[in-house]
Amino acid sequence: MAMNGTNGYRPGLVDLSTGQISREIFVNDDIYAQEQERVFARSWLFVGHESQIPNPGDFFVSRMGEESVILCRDRAGAVHVFLNSCRHRGMKVCRYDDGNTTVFTCPYHGWSYGTDGALVGVPYFREAYHSALDKSKWGLVEVAQLACYKGTVWANWDAGAPPFLEYLGEFRRFLDLILDGWDGREGQAELLGGVQKWLIPCNWKFPAENFSGDSYHNISHRSVDLVGVGPSGKSRRDYNELNVARKLHVAIADRGHQTITYLLPKDHQPQPAYQNSPEVAEYFRHCEEERRKRPGANARLIGAPGEIFPNVALLPRQPRTIAVWHPKSAHQTEVWRFFFVDRDAPQAVKNFLRDYYIRYSGPAGMTEQDDMENWNYAHAASRGVIARRHPYTYEMGLGHAVEDYEFEGFRMPGRVIDITSIQASEEPMRNLYGRWAQFMEADSWDELMSWRRNSPVQAEAAK
Amino acid sequence: MSYPINVRDLAAGTTVVLLSGAEAEIVDNPKDGVWLFARYLKSPGDPALVGQEEMIFAQDVVDTRP
Repeated sequence: MAMNGTNGYRPGLVDLSTGQISREIFVNDDIYAQEQERVFARSWLFVGHESQIPNPGDFFVSRMGEESVILCRDRAGAVHVFLNSCRHRGMKVCRYDDGNTTVFTCPYHGWSYGTDGALVGVPYFREAYHSALDKSKWGLVEVAQLACYKGTVWANWDAGAPPFLEYLGEFRRFLDLILDGWDGREGQAELLGGVQKWLIPCNWKFPAENFSGDSYHNISHRSVDLVGVGPSGKSRRDYNELNVARKLHVAIADRGHQTITYLLPKDHQPQPAYQNSPEVAEYFRHCEEERRKRPGANARLIGAPGEIFPNVALLPRQPRTIAVWHPKSAHQTEVWRFFFVDRDAPQAVKNFLRDYYIRYSGPAGMTEQDDMENWNYAHAASRGVIARRHPYTYEMGLGHAVEDYEFEGFRMPGRVIDITSIQASEEPMRNLYGRWAQFMEADSWDELMSWRRNSPVQAEAAK
Repeated sequence: MSYPINVRDLAAGTTVVLLSGAEAEIVDNPKDGVWLFARYLKSPGDPALVGQEEMIFAQDVVDTRP
């Protein structure tokens, strides 16, 4: 029997031809260290929402991979993301979660930075430095690329990465499902309350895999379904659309993004939902009516769990939330969960949704607790020397995805498996880990943009 | 030696006396306990500073004038 390797990543740990993936990629400390450089320092990462920093001087301290970053709006109104580390000796220059400031001052030696990142204050600049320090070279480290998309803020440390929308590719429509208003108007999402943050003892890829579209684990949530935490008092969500919709696994193969989605038939009529509150039910009925007057590309789609590579999970509908799986170590993840509502929704609707959201998700949410128990124990039970010799299987539905899926005139992009009757596949997970392996093996973004090689026109446009 | 002054408590308009003997009027206080934004009123050692607005380091502040 083969002994476990003690080194880091090597080709073959992710074997998509057989659907087998080594447990090493979850529990190996060397691989974890490598993926900080190869995955998190090169990917577009979710940093926050513009509604968190509406005014000049507003800031929100976020994370990119293991590192603390400051999302802020400078005095001129421009949005920035900076590494939260003083250029002199590395101390955090901001130790609050959020707030408003004119300067970020390091408490160690007193270096001070403007909200545009410029070094503005150096103690004893004239006396000790003899006015010789070139302050313009010692501002806060700023991300190489920043993108604000329908209120969300994304950042990337790699100047060679493609622009954010190119990185999303065809997956953009699934992100739109969470950011657009339920009535179909663009970019109506507003952050509800604060950000829930907590630690879980497992590798970040366990939740990333789950939210990629694991419909196989519904048995875990059986007790929640029986309790009936859903917004109509039954199950955990409103499921009436499932009676007529196609339930699909969609994997955008060259990007590493994947999701479950429900594709409604033509001329579908709204189904009863949010029946625990007449006011909320009426709000969503009205929104559904309005949505049908704006037949955009997403009019027939209902969002469900999905994942933007590498660590951003989407739940566009019930509850409407984005989660970020921040890596802390190979064996620990810090979860940040952001909840969203329509900006113009009545306060009573927002209150109802808040109660439902936290009943479902977050450290106290009943469904999230089910998931965490699985991830935490699966991780712990995979760390031992014997356990690590035995790979996981991801062969469910291997070879059954199609690239030309169409239903009643709606052509779905990506690799698709229709799971309406078969219930589950592992195509989304294979997509996630296939992309992860590409990142671990590629030396630059040039090797990671296969679509540009296939489409010289797009490559030229991207320049 | 005088006691240290808590610069967080100083309001805009207050005049501070600096270690160098210069005096400056606070124009803004970020209340980080480290810096003040102030305009020089007097600067015997470097008269060119008078009228200039600069960040003043807390440890340079030795006294205040009402």
